[in-house]
Amino acid sequence: MVDNGKELSYRLVPSTCVYCGTGCGVLLEVMDGRVTGTLPQKDHPVSWGALCVKGWAVHEFVHSERRLTAPLVRSGGELKETDWDTALAAVAEGLSRVAKEHGPDAVGFFASARCTNEENYLLQKLARAVVGTNNVDHCARL
Amino acid sequence: MSDLKDLVREKLKDGVDAFLCLKDEEGTLLPALITDADSPELELVEAGGARYPMGKILIDLLREYPGKRFAVLVRGCDERALVELSKLEQVDLDRLVMVGLACTAEEARACGCTRPYPSEIALGEKAEAAPGRETIEEVEALSEAERLRWWKEQFSRCIKCYGCRNVCPMCFCKDCALENPHLVEPGVIPPEFPSFHVIRALDMTGRCVDCGLCEEACPADIPLRSLYRKMQEIMEEKLGYRAGESPDEKSPLSFLGSEQDIEKLEREQ
Amino acid sequence: MTNSIGELEDAEVILVVGSNTTEQHPIIGERILAAVRKGAKLIVIDPRTIHLSSFAEVFLRPRPGSEVAYLNGLANVIISEGLEDRDFIASRTEGFEELKKAVAEYTPAKVEEISGIPAQDLVAAARLYAGADRASIVYCMGITQHTTGTDNVLALANLAMLTGNVGRPGTGVNPLRGQNNVQGACDMGGLPNVFTGYQRVDSEEAAAKFEAAWGVEGLSRKVGLTITEMTEKAAEGELRALFIMGENPMVSDPDINHVRQALEKLDFLAVADIMDNETLRYAHVALPAASFAEKDGTITNTERRVQRVRKAIEPVGEAKPDWEIVCAVARKMGASGFNFLSPEEVFEEIRKVTPSYAGITYARLGTRGLQWPCPAEDHPGTPILHAESFPIGKGRFTPCEFREPAELPDEEYPLTLTTGRLLFHYHTGTMTRRSPSLVREIDRAFVEVNPADAAELGIRDGDRVKVSSRRGVVEVDAKVTDKVGKGVIFMPFHFAEAAANLLTNSAFDPVSKIPELKVCAARIEK
Repeated sequence: MVDNGKELSYRLVPSTCVYCGTGCGVLLEVMDGRVTGTLPQKDHPVSWGALCVKGWAVHEFVHSERRLTAPLVRSGGELKETDWDTALAAVAEGLSRVAKEHGPDAVGFFASARCTNEENYLLQKLARAVVGTNNVDHCARL
Repeated sequence: MSDLKDLVREKLKDGVDAFLCLKDEEGTLLPALITDADSPELELVEAGGARYPMGKILIDLLREYPGKRFAVLVRGCDERALVELSKLEQVDLDRLVMVGLACTAEEARACGCTRPYPSEIALGEKAEAAPGRETIEEVEALSEAERLRWWKEQFSRCIKCYGCRNVCPMCFCKDCALENPHLVEPGVIPPEFPSFHVIRALDMTGRCVDCGLCEEACPADIPLRSLYRKMQEIMEEKLGYRAGESPDEKSPLSFLGSEQDIEKLEREQ
Repeated sequence: MTNSIGELEDAEVILVVGSNTTEQHPIIGERILAAVRKGAKLIVIDPRTIHLSSFAEVFLRPRPGSEVAYLNGLANVIISEGLEDRDFIASRTEGFEELKKAVAEYTPAKVEEISGIPAQDLVAAARLYAGADRASIVYCMGITQHTTGTDNVLALANLAMLTGNVGRPGTGVNPLRGQNNVQGACDMGGLPNVFTGYQRVDSEEAAAKFEAAWGVEGLSRKVGLTITEMTEKAAEGELRALFIMGENPMVSDPDINHVRQALEKLDFLAVADIMDNETLRYAHVALPAASFAEKDGTITNTERRVQRVRKAIEPVGEAKPDWEIVCAVARKMGASGFNFLSPEEVFEEIRKVTPSYAGITYARLGTRGLQWPCPAEDHPGTPILHAESFPIGKGRFTPCEFREPAELPDEEYPLTLTTGRLLFHYHTGTMTRRSPSLVREIDRAFVEVNPADAAELGIRDGDRVKVSSRRGVVEVDAKVTDKVGKGVIFMPFHFAEAAANLLTNSAFDPVSKIPELKVCAARIEK
């Protein structure tokens, strides 16, 4: 067979399943910079080498065509691709303007049970320390 | 006796492109592909401990990197899987160097397979096989009706994770019969009894190498291994065949021949 | 959870209520079945016949919304038969007499009238639960998503304290958290009333502590708005800007038509998400977020186990991890204190301000994690809460009175609609419906209808039907099945094109502000 010149790379990266709150141990298979599969972590204290159907498939959405891959800003009624700097400036401006004109409590933040602890921490810090509101919640109730 | 680290280094210097074995990452053993004899990862390689479907990983690696040669650390079950996979045209043994690891006596007892060592042992010492037949004997003592009930009860816990198939080194079909809505109703648990489990058991006949990874991966602790083990016993008794034992003799059940043969048959029709 | 997942196997009796565990938390469900194989007795209480019911010693199928009635009924039987744990009640609790008085009227006969649970089955369940040395309660959204959600949970806690099933292996009151990091999002202060580690925003001491830690002044001491309240205020025009990180309220929230009106009214909406989703359509700015495979970080599971996710690949396209996005927005707004170079640096700040996380480091987490509270670096973590005492000292019995759900069936909408998830999908489906092996199993919304109701309405299995409530209407396939009782219908809420949450009621529990997603009045037509 002919070598296709691809550089050999295969790794298993220990992680945690991101579906339900059980928190099963998964190993993500990575080949050529893509997540190609999932294996259960054998010695995980919750899942002990087993997974459910969603855990086994947890890599499948990563390279989905429905992924957002560029920042979008609405102009002329439509979301259009833009660069990060423009998009971030628009967010900062949008939040600052409302907070200035209508007070910080006119701004709200949805944190996320799908994001990491670090990300949730930073979002509530942004809401409380920068904007000045405690209007921060996530879908714990949903 | 040599040490795994030296063996990996030696094989990489001898011209294989990568060595598949286990390494210790933050206290967890997981498969790792070592491509460089000077890699700091070499300090982390481990021979024993957890088992993963090396055959399955190699199918992907051999396909993804067609010009490359691989070495792999194999136990008896891994070797049987690779031998049988080569007969099924899923791996090319010419591109593989198997480095044998014998299971410890304790591992052999806990596992219960008939050959807990590969044909050539580079690491570890050969332990006697301690075939585990307790479950089979328990079921054989039952009447036929009771046996059906016994299995039905075992399978009633199944949550259709497909882990038994996903982890199986011998399951590689692109179109899996378990996913055929005409054979198994999709979207319900427990999956239909007995179709789901009979399909899988039949697919394992003459193919299962008794590695037991299916049972290790089963969240419901269903004694899958005993079912497939019994199928292999019947195969051996009636047709004199054990999967993965001889590199040349093909399974008497591979009557369909290779994919090329099937395509040829289809063209002729 | 007060206890740990592994301990379920040590229980003698497991009471599963409002949790379809083998579908919603499959690996925990299998631990429950492992316990049953080891001899544990299972009690299942659910308005639907679920996979676990067939393994139950006692299966109760109440009318949705009657939780307080039947839980009080269990307490009634336990007390009237003298099955309570008197030593535990005397040494660890207070308020027993009030509870006794309050549950006195919830006799099995009265509970049967309210809930439809046969009196003798209720008695059997009570005897089984109270008779065990180690009994564990496992519950989920079937308990909480009611206008009486708080009372439902308190009534469960009453049962555990009444029988001394607290603080020992194989006991406890164990909520199963639905989302992978709902526990962590709460722990991190992703709530309107608390900073990290449940330190209250209206506590002067806590607020001053965070002002010092963050180098800011004048943090608001006023408790903020919940999601349902924010939606309400947005619709009224009082809340004008919203930043949504990784949520999809246009599918997940009750009364979606109302959510849409609220989002449309906003002056500014920014959404960060990994996927194109239904909420994005109303955004002024949409930011592509990195998935869990593309970033480092920690998440906290239902047994309080803090665990790692690790970056396996580079972000897809131009996506960035949310931690970078939030920091960049903060810096653009001129803030300091957001110059982190890695999630581990953020975690180091979290540890400093959060006593229950203080002893946790990335190095210690390894591949097995640690359970909080973990106050110091030499602390092993805490598998079981309340072993010696409750945070408030003695456990307080809280008498709860049965109240009907906010909306009851009537002539116009004669059926009770309850909603939930399926094994093969997850929440709003943004991930699972992009996953070929899950879509292959099921990819269509449906409504489960009892054969008796179906016969009355002339509906056959597989018919296309219209399901409507006062808030909306959807078209789905009918599944005629006796999994649901007469008068009850069930819909999964994963499917945006036939969203169950167009129908659900946003009336919420006065304390927890949780919406009543598990009960509303509905109608089916062919």
